[in-house]
Amino acid sequence: MNESTPLVRVRGLVKEHGDGESWVRAVDDVDLEVPQGQTVAVMGPSGCGKSTLLHLLGGLERPTSGEIWVAGRRTDGLSERALARLRRRSIGFVFQAFHLVDELTAAENVELPALLAGRSPRAARRRADVLLEQVELADRARHLPSELSGGQRQRVAIARALANEPQVVLADEPTGNLDSAATLDVLRIFADLRATGQTLVVVTHDERVAATADRLISMRDGMFVDDTQLAGTGTGRLGGLVGLEG
Amino acid sequence: MGRVVLVVRLVLADVRRHKTHAAMLVLAVTAATATLALGLSLYNASQSLYVQTRAATAGPDLVLLAPDTGPASTAALKTLANDPDVVDHNGPYDIVYGTLTARGYSSSVVVHGASPTPGAVDRPLVTAGTWVRRGGAVIERGFATALGVKVGDRVVVSGHTYPVVGIAVTAATSIYPWSAGIGPLGGPSDYTGLLWLTAPEARALAGRDLTITTALDLKLRDPDATEAFRLAHRGLSVRLNLHSWQFIAVQDGHIVQNTQPMLVVGGWLLGFLAVTGVAALAAGRATEQTRRAGLLKAVGATPGLIGVVLLTEYLVLSLLAEAAGLVVARLVEPAIANPTDSRIGHVVGPAGLTLAATTALALAAALLTTLPPTVRALRTATVAALTSTAQYSRHRPWLTSLSSLLPTPLLLGLRLTARRPGRAVLHSCSTAVTLTGLTALLTFYAQPVRGYGIASSLPNGRDVVDRRLLLAVTVLLVVLALVNTIAMTWMTAMEARTSLAITRALGATPGQVSAGLSFAQLLPAVPGAVAGVYVGVVLFAFTSRGPMSMPPRWWLVAAVLATLLATAALTALPARLAARRSVAHTLSAEAA
Amino acid sequence: MQDAVLAMLAKEPSHGYELRARLRRSLGPFGEPMNPGQIYVTLARLEKAGLVVCERSDAEKPDRKVYAVTPAGQERVAAWLTEVGWPKPDLVEFHLKLVAAAASRLADPVELVAAQRRELLRTLREAQQSALSEPPGSPATALLEGVVLRLQADLRWLDACERGYCRRRDESEDA
Repeated sequence: MNESTPLVRVRGLVKEHGDGESWVRAVDDVDLEVPQGQTVAVMGPSGCGKSTLLHLLGGLERPTSGEIWVAGRRTDGLSERALARLRRRSIGFVFQAFHLVDELTAAENVELPALLAGRSPRAARRRADVLLEQVELADRARHLPSELSGGQRQRVAIARALANEPQVVLADEPTGNLDSAATLDVLRIFADLRATGQTLVVVTHDERVAATADRLISMRDGMFVDDTQLAGTGTGRLGGLVGLEG
Repeated sequence: MGRVVLVVRLVLADVRRHKTHAAMLVLAVTAATATLALGLSLYNASQSLYVQTRAATAGPDLVLLAPDTGPASTAALKTLANDPDVVDHNGPYDIVYGTLTARGYSSSVVVHGASPTPGAVDRPLVTAGTWVRRGGAVIERGFATALGVKVGDRVVVSGHTYPVVGIAVTAATSIYPWSAGIGPLGGPSDYTGLLWLTAPEARALAGRDLTITTALDLKLRDPDATEAFRLAHRGLSVRLNLHSWQFIAVQDGHIVQNTQPMLVVGGWLLGFLAVTGVAALAAGRATEQTRRAGLLKAVGATPGLIGVVLLTEYLVLSLLAEAAGLVVARLVEPAIANPTDSRIGHVVGPAGLTLAATTALALAAALLTTLPPTVRALRTATVAALTSTAQYSRHRPWLTSLSSLLPTPLLLGLRLTARRPGRAVLHSCSTAVTLTGLTALLTFYAQPVRGYGIASSLPNGRDVVDRRLLLAVTVLLVVLALVNTIAMTWMTAMEARTSLAITRALGATPGQVSAGLSFAQLLPAVPGAVAGVYVGVVLFAFTSRGPMSMPPRWWLVAAVLATLLATAALTALPARLAARRSVAHTLSAEAA
Repeated sequence: MQDAVLAMLAKEPSHGYELRARLRRSLGPFGEPMNPGQIYVTLARLEKAGLVVCERSDAEKPDRKVYAVTPAGQERVAAWLTEVGWPKPDLVEFHLKLVAAAASRLADPVELVAAQRRELLRTLREAQQSALSEPPGSPATALLEGVVLRLQADLRWLDACERGYCRRRDESEDA
């Protein structure tokens, strides 16, 4: 796979739920290409299908029709087993509700994906320590999730998502349950990840999170209604915002 | 009044919501109480049957047997017949020892010479056909059932062929196969059946070298004074054996001698299984119960009311199940208390002791399973109860490090087991009980079968009955244990579904997850199985009479392996179903 | 205010009092304190700038005058509609822009909102990046945080506008 092949590619993706009265098309004929190293934010009102899109990208749900390609492999027809293996190697997940295992410490939570991938306990633990250092929680490695604040828990979850050096990180409303200070911490981490070239797809309705992305996609009723590049355009209008224009 | 209605409504709503739990409890307690009730009332049932047969056949109070024939014996017997304590008598009549062949079977037989018109004492009740006449034989009913002989068949007694003209029951002898009170020459007897012929034909039969005993039936003025009579007439010059009706009744009890401990112990084991299974379920509902108690407290209900609501449901179900169990016991009793068919009569209701024991079992089952979550619910502060989420499991660092060394399915299985150690213990106990039952069964089957002596080719009736019964109890144990295992696996899968969904999102395959769930059940089952074997052997040794021979070791090993394999197979299905659910669905349901 | 009035004229020529009425309606309670003569002052300025002509000049009765937009005025309206500078704290100008666009059908209000959102997001991004790159404890952080939060609030308002105009569009499509 060379540099120009997109890391994530989607064609004609459709996902339908329910039947009869409750039939709904959560994702309606979506096309998407995410090149390597890009941070994409997907915004939209609740119920517009953005979370469903993310689940489909990560193989947590099966599409009704359409093609999905991740890291050069076609994923929409894979078996559950193969999808699990794919998630082990190539995809990292961050959820709104953190979804940490309550009876494991932070370090034990972070090393879990590495253990599932078959790495030795020692290597997994070492990697976990490095990642916790990266999210500035090295001093909390031995704490249980119940002893951590919401922001700290989400940082542990992000560290966990990075455990197997995934090619793409998928984040579903990562700051949905966080206050603004904790949101800033997460934003800082995302900014660091961008700097290292990590490909990131974030679903959010927090504008601050969306603003960190290189590219913003707006979704409504299962379809993309807007797709803009945010990066590289300095407006220089900051002064005007506070009435300090010359 | 309103509170009673409220309680009833809450209980009904709860039962409707958890139909499976209610069904499991009722099923288990019914089986346990039925078995226990049967076991405890067997002896009384057999005695009662004897008494009823005695009344229906005007059974004698004493049967005298004189092995030496001759005028001295006859004179002695006649003297006794005219004793002032004796109101009426039957005989003296001949008893001839012979061998009988019918329908391919052979057996020892005692032939009683009887009058075509029986007197006031010892009037055997004819249940099929007619009483003896010249050239016709009547077979005792127990013997007939064992041989499979019906009216109209032909039997050969010591070379003579007779048609069977009737089948009858009597109270003058013990049940088949102890129809001969004593053996020829006064010694111990083989297992024998009873046949009646007319007196001249019996004597004619004895014409060759067949042995004869002379017998006399006595009816006393005071039917219970048999012992006094015996003491009064000790030391006679003639050899006499006196069999009182009480002695015969006790002999009747011997047929259920093995069955009783089987059923009583089996009943308690089943009760134990009921408790383990339902306790696991109750623990699983503990959060919900705690929340319910909190809700009731918050709207002003007193702790008393809460306790009543929480306990009523299980108590009512248990008592209903107990009633059902008693009914089942009543229905099954005749077959087990009268396995040889030698007695007649109807079954009486459960005695006070039996009722007390089964109620104790039902109450224990209900209380043990609901007390822990109830107490916890009542003690929890209201606010905490209303907002309580799933119980947090304890962090066990050593276990986590240990499990990291294992391959993924074992890692998951070990961690799942550790989340609910209480349930693991219950599952262990459940498996132990299953293996106790299986071991008892195998050990019983390993005992040498005693035949009925050289002359008989009939199978040992008691052994056959005992084996069948033990098999039935073991099957009940196994079925209950199976239900418990499936229920526990399903509950573990449901409780852990978020955790497992996360693990799948992180890269565990559905195969690994369902293998993990299976391991979580297998791990506690192993020590339980091994313990169960030892307990089974000990129990058997404790309850069996006489020497015990151990079954071959490989039988027990095979039983353990079969149980573990069955556990693995049983857990595979619910585990697989649980592992196939959509990850996204589970996780978003949790986040909502 | 000037541009808004101009945009309202773009639909069709009107009397001064018609324009005033339309403005009052669009502003709701905020239009109460508006000076009745204000509109004529604005119209005079626009005329002077050559963006508006008076169709019938009747010097005695100013309210009989009918004003219309000139070609230059049309250009100015077009430019104003697509401008994405963000006004100072009060949101009146953008609100009137949307109203005028909807009334005159010169632009799709939903599009306008989307364009403005993009711009604000870019600004937010800048402000946020600056906030993150400030050394910890720097006093400028507080100011940047304030800017970020206000922008966030404005973006939420834009979402609400979009929803309103979308609904109106759906209703008119159904009709």
